[in-house]
Amino acid sequence: MRLHRIRLRDFRGVHDREVTLAERGVTVLQGDNEVGKTSTVAALDLLFDAADSSRRAEIRAAQPSGVDAGPEVEAEVSTGPYRFVYRKRWLRRPRTELTVLAPSSEQLTGAEAHARVSAILDETMDRVLWRGLRVEQHTAVGQADLGGQDALTRALDRAASGAVGAASSPRPDPSVDDGLVERAVEELRRYRTPGGRATGELRLAEVRRSAAEAEHERCRTALEAVERDVAVRDRLDADVATVRARRRAHAAEVAELEDRWSGLQSRLREVETARSRAVLARERADSARERRASRDALVAALGADADVVTRAAEALAAHEGEHAAARDERDARRAADTAARNEAGAARRRADDAARAVSAARDRAELADLADRLQRAEVARTGLAAAGRVLAATALDADDLAGLEDLARDLVRAEAARDAAAARLELTAPAGLTVLVDGTEVTLGAGETRTLPVAGSRALSVPGVLDVRVRPGLDEAGRDDAVRERQQALAERCEELGVAGVEDARVARREADDAERRAEEHRAALARELAGHGDATALRAAHDAIRDRLGEDIPEGDADVPALRTAADAARDAADQAARAADEAAAACRAAEDAVRDADTRAAVLAERAADARHAHARRAEELRAARAAEADADLADAEGERLARARDAEREHEALAAALADDDPDTVEARVVNARAVDERLGGEAVRLEREHAETTGRLQAAGLEGWHDQEAAAAAELEVAVREHDAVARRSAAAQRLHDTLARHRERVRRSYVAPFRAQVERLARIVFGSSLSLEIDEDLRITHRTLDGTTVAFGALSSGAQEQLGLCARLACAALVDPADGVPVVIDDALGHTDPERLARLGAVFTAATAADGAAQVIVLTCTPERYHGIGAATVVPLAPSRRPGEHAREREAPAAVVEDTPARTPGTVVDLPRAPRAG
Amino acid sequence: MRFVHTADWQLGMRRRVLGARPPKEAAAGVTGEAQARYAQARLDAVAALGRLADQRDAAFVLVCGDVFESNLVGPDVVARACEALASFRTPVLLLPGNHDPADAACVLRRPDFARRRPAHVTVLDSPGVHEVAPGIEVVAAPWRSKHPLTDLVGEQLADLGPAPPGTLRVLAGHGELDVLDPDDDEPARIRRDGVLAALGDGRIHYAALGDRHSTWVDAADDRIRHPGTPEVTDFDEVDPGNVLVVDLDEHAAAVATERVGCWSFVRHDTRLDTDDDLERLDAWLAARPDKERAAVRLALVGTLSLRQRSHLDDLLAAHGHAFAAVEVLPQHSDLATVPDDADLADLDLHGFAADAATELFAAAGGSDGGADTEARDALRLLHRLVGSDR
Repeated sequence: MRLHRIRLRDFRGVHDREVTLAERGVTVLQGDNEVGKTSTVAALDLLFDAADSSRRAEIRAAQPSGVDAGPEVEAEVSTGPYRFVYRKRWLRRPRTELTVLAPSSEQLTGAEAHARVSAILDETMDRVLWRGLRVEQHTAVGQADLGGQDALTRALDRAASGAVGAASSPRPDPSVDDGLVERAVEELRRYRTPGGRATGELRLAEVRRSAAEAEHERCRTALEAVERDVAVRDRLDADVATVRARRRAHAAEVAELEDRWSGLQSRLREVETARSRAVLARERADSARERRASRDALVAALGADADVVTRAAEALAAHEGEHAAARDERDARRAADTAARNEAGAARRRADDAARAVSAARDRAELADLADRLQRAEVARTGLAAAGRVLAATALDADDLAGLEDLARDLVRAEAARDAAAARLELTAPAGLTVLVDGTEVTLGAGETRTLPVAGSRALSVPGVLDVRVRPGLDEAGRDDAVRERQQALAERCEELGVAGVEDARVARREADDAERRAEEHRAALARELAGHGDATALRAAHDAIRDRLGEDIPEGDADVPALRTAADAARDAADQAARAADEAAAACRAAEDAVRDADTRAAVLAERAADARHAHARRAEELRAARAAEADADLADAEGERLARARDAEREHEALAAALADDDPDTVEARVVNARAVDERLGGEAVRLEREHAETTGRLQAAGLEGWHDQEAAAAAELEVAVREHDAVARRSAAAQRLHDTLARHRERVRRSYVAPFRAQVERLARIVFGSSLSLEIDEDLRITHRTLDGTTVAFGALSSGAQEQLGLCARLACAALVDPADGVPVVIDDALGHTDPERLARLGAVFTAATAADGAAQVIVLTCTPERYHGIGAATVVPLAPSRRPGEHAREREAPAAVVEDTPARTPGTVVDLPRAPRAG
Repeated sequence: MRFVHTADWQLGMRRRVLGARPPKEAAAGVTGEAQARYAQARLDAVAALGRLADQRDAAFVLVCGDVFESNLVGPDVVARACEALASFRTPVLLLPGNHDPADAACVLRRPDFARRRPAHVTVLDSPGVHEVAPGIEVVAAPWRSKHPLTDLVGEQLADLGPAPPGTLRVLAGHGELDVLDPDDDEPARIRRDGVLAALGDGRIHYAALGDRHSTWVDAADDRIRHPGTPEVTDFDEVDPGNVLVVDLDEHAAAVATERVGCWSFVRHDTRLDTDDDLERLDAWLAARPDKERAAVRLALVGTLSLRQRSHLDDLLAAHGHAFAAVEVLPQHSDLATVPDDADLADLDLHGFAADAATELFAAAGGSDGGADTEARDALRLLHRLVGSDR
């Protein structure tokens, strides 16, 4: 299809405008917003689709506001062999006009015209492709849905055939396979869901079949149950009869056994009676024997009692002797005891006397000691007083003495120093000579040498011969002064202390020390003597106490204390011994007393025992006499013998009866009777059980009879057969549909795959212009671009940038336009796309447009844009600028129309637009 | 003495060929409408033979077994049967047969039957001689279980003494004669020799049998008879739909065969290879009388093209609406659908569709048994889909 021109009148904002399009290549309709670009395309759709009577929302929206005129569209179109002018007006005076110009001229109006155009379009163009190749304003340029496009498919088919070189047969009616696959799918969907599950008829058939199977099974089960019950009933009938017969037969046997058993039972009772009699006789015999034995025992007991009496009397008599001996012994012991006690008292007194003598002797010794001590204490006190007096006389103490000593030492040192430093005068006399030295006569032996220190001045004179004065030098004088100073100090100190000199002081001191020591010794002696008494007074008090105690016999001479003590010890030992002897005698006396008491007790016991024995004997004798009076001993013996004989008879009789019964085997008869009764009972139970089961089965059968199981089963079987048959038929149809669909789809896939290659070649050819020669694309069977590979990098289509998607989408559409047969071709309409494309790519896209539309007979491309610079790069474009087309009244308010607008004559040159003046329209 | 001899009423019988009961869902396929009419027809036949007996002044109607299809028929079947019997004025004797034996579940003893049983109806559920009227005795050999182990009729005859003078004796038995079905394994077969001997020495004067749904008379003695079912029950029956009106004396029986049934079950075997064959089948079906009371079972053998097969399907569907049932018996049919080149050309397909069709043709091709029926079905569907497009 090709559009030659489109004219809009009173369509939305357009008053009256005709646009002429280039027959091949690209036509760019450029104009500002709201100038009516999109309206042009929308108007074409309405023209082809909407009847003039339609009042669709789009049509009502196309009605210009405030104008009493319906929207009107006119287009001149060539498609296939046809070329026609088609005009429609809606809402106000609706009208449809068709003028067919070629192949043969035709003139139609109204619905006929509409139908004719629809027929022509359906015949010659792929209307789905027409929409698929369009890029609407404001929508992203994505993938065009090209998979189902028949025109494209045919083109690709052709290309594919050409590619493989197969001679394609002529196609008199290429549209025959239109929708065949879709119909096959539709057919298949009657039976199967896309997931392969049964649905629709097939599902119903399956449900019906399984329901019928279940129902049939149910009925069959019930029928079989009834048949089993019938069989059970038959068996029960037979069993009941059998059991009855057996019970009857058994009854006779039971009766016979019962008779025998009752006979045996009466004999059993007889045997039992005999046994009781024997037992009774035996008991009586036993009692007679017992009576006789007890009499014997009584007699024996009496004898024993007599013995006991005798023995008791003997014992008593024997005891009397022992008793008397005990009393004698006791009396002897008592006398011994008294004697021992007296002896012990005497010994004690002696011991006390001895002890007292020892004590007095000791006191006396102590008194003497204390007197000595008192005396010594007195001596010590006297000495102490004397020493005290000496001490008090001595004023010089130890420190004073030490001071004097120091001073004396200093003096000595000074003198030594002076002497050491002094000149010496050695005198040697060859013969004895006497000289005066400082007035002192000094005799010198022959040859003796004497050295004299010169201290101070020395005067040496041999009397009469010579006087020599030796004077020291200055130094020696100083030293001599120091010596004198010290002598002075010493003298002063001695005076202070009241001593003559150092030696004197030392003597005084020694005397004081001796007094001190003596005082100390006396003090120690005093303390020693007073030890244990505190002071002298206490000592004296102790002394006086002892003296008082001794009283008169103070000076009893010197008693021998150790001898006294030995005597006292001996006396005490003797006293102790006597006391022990007394104790032993007392104990012996007590033992004798006890023995006498025991003997008394025993004598009493024996006497009592003897009395008891006598009583017992008397009683027993009385008893025996009474018994004998009642029944003589001989009678008892006779009775015993007679009863024993009777018991033996009774026992013999019982044994005979029992043996006779045992011969008839009563145990076996009893076992048989018991068994026969049990059998009878069991048969009775069996009969009851069978009758119960019989009744139950009968009840079930009666109930089942009213259920009509046969009818139900027959109906279910019929239903099952129909359901199976129907299911088989449907399943077969379903399988056929599946097979057909699969086969068709498989072949279509194969063909589609072969379509992909030429389509891809065409798209890649165009896209390489944009993306460069390294581009390759992957395209699936639905002719969608799935991946783009550029410079070795493969990216999924969805992951590409908006710009790249847009460019590839455009390339795909243009590839379609370039591929399809010119006879099948439809215009590619692009409404303001490429908003995401950068200027560089835009320039390249221009080349794409040119390349896509360069081929002879390539499709029309119509680009609508308000930004013409996007499409400047399209070399072969025919640019049609659009200006607002307004009604005359509106001109005043708006700027002037562009100069391209021609006021009167519509131009027929491609690429022009004519804004027609408002002309009166024919009615 | 005149009586009506009938048997095998099979009341409560359903025929699967007549379709199922109406399914709960409105699915395609035959419904139970024919089934209901058929059930009514069986009752109508009973009523008709009752009227016949009344008109002919019969002494009694003797039903030799299988009054009911089963002992377990529903109370509705029993009730309707009793209603039909109540319309008789002639006494009726019912013998339990193999379908309704006198076992524990016997329908003829069931309370619902006993309650509704008209007074003139007698159930011969105890074996032996029953006096029906002075001078008329019936020797009954009822089935007491589904699987008897002896020849029940022979058992009765063995114990039977000669008929008293002036008394007519009719034997009532149920089962196949050994001559008709020489099955040695079946102990319940009726020994014909015994029956012939009894007829010969006058112990009985007529052997009324049941169980065989076709009307039949013994070649050696025409007093041994099967009346057949009064209304057809299966396709293999010969001359069903009759009752016998018997005029009996001590030496012979004059028997009139009277038709009471209205339905027909027809089996038709034919070859289908050409369009002419199809037309003949069409004509044969069109010529059937009383189609609403006819069930047709077709056994078709032959080879058809796709187009012919479609024609056959259309034809059968069209006739199916008129008949009570039209059934193609699969196990006896061998109908191959073979696509031929004309079929392929008819399709007029191109491109991948043509390739697909060619493949299916190849798969379906040939008339040999191994041909791919699914491919043929797929081709038929393709045929239809392409056809619907035009």
